[in-house]
Amino acid sequence: MGTIVECNGVSKSYRQGKLVVPALAEIDLCVEAGGFMALAGPSGSGKTTLLNLIGGLDDADSGTIRVDGREYARQSKAQLADLRLHRIGFVFQAYNLIPVLSALENVEYVMLLQGVAARERRRRAREVLAVVGLEGMAHRRPAELSGGQQQRVAVARAIVSNPSIVLADEPTANLDSKTGEGLLHLMQRMNSDRGVTFIFSTHDEMVMAYARRIVQIRDGRIADDLHKASEHR
Amino acid sequence: MIGNLDVVTMELQLAWRNIWRNPRRTAVILTAVIIGVWSMVGLGALMRGILIGMIQNNIDTLTGHIQIHQQAYPDDPAIEHSISDPETWMSAARDALPAGSRWSQRIRIGAVVSNARHTRGAILMGIDPAAEARLSFIGTAVTEGAYLADGDTGGILIGRALAQQFDTRLGRKLILTAQDSDGEIVSRAFRIRGIYQAEMADTEKGFLFVNRQSAQQLLKLGNRISEIAIRLPAHEMAVPVANDLKARLAGSPLRVRAWPEILPLLKAYVEMFDTFILIWFIVVFVAMGFGILNTTLMAVFERMREFGVLKALGMRPGRIVRGVLLETLLMLVLGIGAGNLLGLATCWGLSITGIDLSAMAEGVAYAGMARIITPVVWIRDLLRANLVVLLLGLLVCLYPAIKAARMTPVAAMRHH
Amino acid sequence: MLSIPVKMAWRNIWRHPRRTLLTTLAIAFACVLLIFMLSFQFGSYEAMINASIKIHTGHLQVQAAGYQEQQEIRRVIEDPRAVHQALAAIPEVDAHAARARAFALVASQERAYGIMVEGIDPAAEAQVSTLPRIIRAGAYLAPAPDSEDLSGALVGYLLARNLRVDVGDELTILGQGRDGSVAATVVRVRGIYRSGMDDYDRGAVQIHLQTFQEVFSMDAAVHEIVVTTGRLTEVGPIQRALAPTLTDLANTHPLVSLSWDALLPGLKQAIAMDLVSGAISYVILILVVAFSILNTFLMAIFERTHEFGVMLAIGARPARLTRLVLMESAGITLVGIGAGVLFGCLITGYFATHGIELGGASDLFRQYGIPNTLYPRLTVVTVTAGPLTVFFITLAAALYPALKIQGLKPVEALRLT
Repeated sequence: MGTIVECNGVSKSYRQGKLVVPALAEIDLCVEAGGFMALAGPSGSGKTTLLNLIGGLDDADSGTIRVDGREYARQSKAQLADLRLHRIGFVFQAYNLIPVLSALENVEYVMLLQGVAARERRRRAREVLAVVGLEGMAHRRPAELSGGQQQRVAVARAIVSNPSIVLADEPTANLDSKTGEGLLHLMQRMNSDRGVTFIFSTHDEMVMAYARRIVQIRDGRIADDLHKASEHR
Repeated sequence: MIGNLDVVTMELQLAWRNIWRNPRRTAVILTAVIIGVWSMVGLGALMRGILIGMIQNNIDTLTGHIQIHQQAYPDDPAIEHSISDPETWMSAARDALPAGSRWSQRIRIGAVVSNARHTRGAILMGIDPAAEARLSFIGTAVTEGAYLADGDTGGILIGRALAQQFDTRLGRKLILTAQDSDGEIVSRAFRIRGIYQAEMADTEKGFLFVNRQSAQQLLKLGNRISEIAIRLPAHEMAVPVANDLKARLAGSPLRVRAWPEILPLLKAYVEMFDTFILIWFIVVFVAMGFGILNTTLMAVFERMREFGVLKALGMRPGRIVRGVLLETLLMLVLGIGAGNLLGLATCWGLSITGIDLSAMAEGVAYAGMARIITPVVWIRDLLRANLVVLLLGLLVCLYPAIKAARMTPVAAMRHH
Repeated sequence: MLSIPVKMAWRNIWRHPRRTLLTTLAIAFACVLLIFMLSFQFGSYEAMINASIKIHTGHLQVQAAGYQEQQEIRRVIEDPRAVHQALAAIPEVDAHAARARAFALVASQERAYGIMVEGIDPAAEAQVSTLPRIIRAGAYLAPAPDSEDLSGALVGYLLARNLRVDVGDELTILGQGRDGSVAATVVRVRGIYRSGMDDYDRGAVQIHLQTFQEVFSMDAAVHEIVVTTGRLTEVGPIQRALAPTLTDLANTHPLVSLSWDALLPGLKQAIAMDLVSGAISYVILILVVAFSILNTFLMAIFERTHEFGVMLAIGARPARLTRLVLMESAGITLVGIGAGVLFGCLITGYFATHGIELGGASDLFRQYGIPNTLYPRLTVVTVTAGPLTVFFITLAAALYPALKIQGLKPVEALRLT
């Protein structure tokens, strides 16, 4: 399998008043397609920034980022939005879902943006909700779901359009360990069954235990890059 | 005392900071209050200006502030209801008039005016030229020819519209026909000495001015007159001075009336406008009241947790109510202040030239308005507008304030 | 089945029921007020126009050119019969009547006043004006002058009081005929009327047209032919149909037709002024309402920044969010307008059928021909004009927050919860 994410010399800093705070410095990183990888590091290390850059949510100050062969710097805002819509799925730490839509509608919404016909949308949304084990909860609103269930809906939404890559920003941070493990199981299954690449940012040991590759980020630099043996099957 | 002042300063400071926690939201609701208050001040002053214009117009035209007639004249303005011996009554009344008052004796009688080709009805005014000039519009209204001279018994002043209608001009003659005090129909020719312009075409067509002596001669009135018109230094004096005059002239065959009595329709207009202005103030307030309430509710609900903490720390509910109301008060005072300034500035700007409605002269005349509207700011209107906004605004915000105070600490902390 | 975006917008609207309720109430309040006020204004205009038309002016008049301005006795319609014939042939014309008038000194036993003497054709006049129906004492004029007695006359109650006459008393008319000769006659008061408009009630004496023509040396001539029709909108067609006849007729001063608004220029301008000043106040009121509710629209986006961040992240374009927010604002506005139009129509409709007692102000209104009870007039214009303006001004206000979304950066949005 080829490379799906390629970062070369990526730097990013933020302005905080008069201060310029460096967040990432000269990051070089390649992620193989089909990977199940964690960006680890303490809070403020820059892992979320890197994840956002890979997701095209933010612009790098310098360096190039390619996802699926497309270089971000060359894309317009609209093209980036389309890229996120079709090629990338997101799972955030919390408040992932649109509160006024039911679980089913939340999943459908991505396909609505893609312009999938209503009937097809509903069919696929039901299907993927069943995959994440929420077939009975399709019509509940986010407020009527537990934190774990909400995250499962988020995973369902992230994978429903068969993206090449899912970016998950501390997906288990707000969950108890049992629920968190369930969610990780689910994502691992999606990874192995559907070949979707997963990149997490996390400081949760359990996530790291599941990950096949752990990239340690410290002070905006890659401090360590650990490939577990199981990665190359 | 000092300690108390300290607390007030601190509370004010706290409230001030609180209203600027969400500057955009405060700016928006302030804008609503400012536009509202501005329109209250501005439209109120315009309406007041229209009213004052109407009153001024009437008083200038021939009403004056107070008129004295023979008892029966107001209901039946006929020649036999004239005042005999006016000088005696005038000297009896003079003490009641404030300094700066002016008065004049007049003949005012219906007549027919005609020339070779035209005829119409008009009011014949017999005036003392010098005294009348200080009292009514006619002294400065002559635009062609000259004002009446004392002792000019053959001259007449007519309005521009009448001159046009009659195809006549300066130096020509007009025939006046009227009923004299014996009931006989009498006529006499007068020569046009001057042509005047008035605010309304109806005035120009309706009133003719001759010397009082020539009118008295023509109508065989001797020294009797129809009315004494009085102009006071200020409109507001009319009613009290008239009451004083009534008391002094009690038992005489005379009837004293202030302008609201002379022009009941105008009085009705004033009263209707007064009510209307107040209703309009309330309507505008309601329009902004919804916004004030909504914004305060948002601000309060966002801070429920904070109120919970304050309560947990032992703050009394009354204090919380006071705090929220103080914020509303500050916000309102700010909006009202700016609205007033803006409104007054607008009025000042408009009053330099006034709003000229000459293009709509006929409509203006139909409604009885003055051709040029100048906004008039009355302290009373200003106070009413400000009080409506301030008091109702505070009243409305009592709801969110109580809501904040009622929240139990635990529930407030749980509020997300 | 509603589409997801519509459902989203609708559910978002009701996320804060109290806030939405207050906002819709503000909009509804403005709509109710505007519908009522506009209907009230149009009702009063109609009452004023109708009063003037029915008491005196008619929907249009045929006159000799210049008579309206100068009111000269010489400016006559020399052959009224031809005009009557032309009018009779126009289907939209309901009725027409000729009048002649001149200023004269009118004297009773005790009093004399210079006033307008008007010659009317009693039967035809009854078709075009309310005069026969406002007689308060005595009777309306007989179809023809009494050959046995003096010719009859009608006077307004104020004039009767000034002249100190009652039904049956004699009046001497002394004026100038069309040819400059002395015009003098004696008539007998047959009826006293009261229109409520003081100027009219003390301004004129009505006598038989035939008598008038004899006394004032008019021959067959008249000064105006008053025409009435079913609706104001038919005035134009009648004028057009009449135009060829008027051009063809030989008359010393060419004949013209004048519509009610040309006959009553003051009334028309007063209505225009009232409408303009009303419109200014209403726009200001709507602006106050717009700013009053702008915070609701603003909060709707500031509270949901994180949510918008998620939506942007999963691939929604900013335009979609703008559309969503505008849809929500439009939704709130429409709910408010719907309620406002409903209650505005109900309230105004109630008064439109039951009328509004003018109470203390009725003396004032009567001078403009408005009776004690005023009926607001609920029309398509009065119902839609206000709410439409509210809709557009409110949406313009909503544009500001909706366009703000365009500048939203996903990362910054996501950071906020």
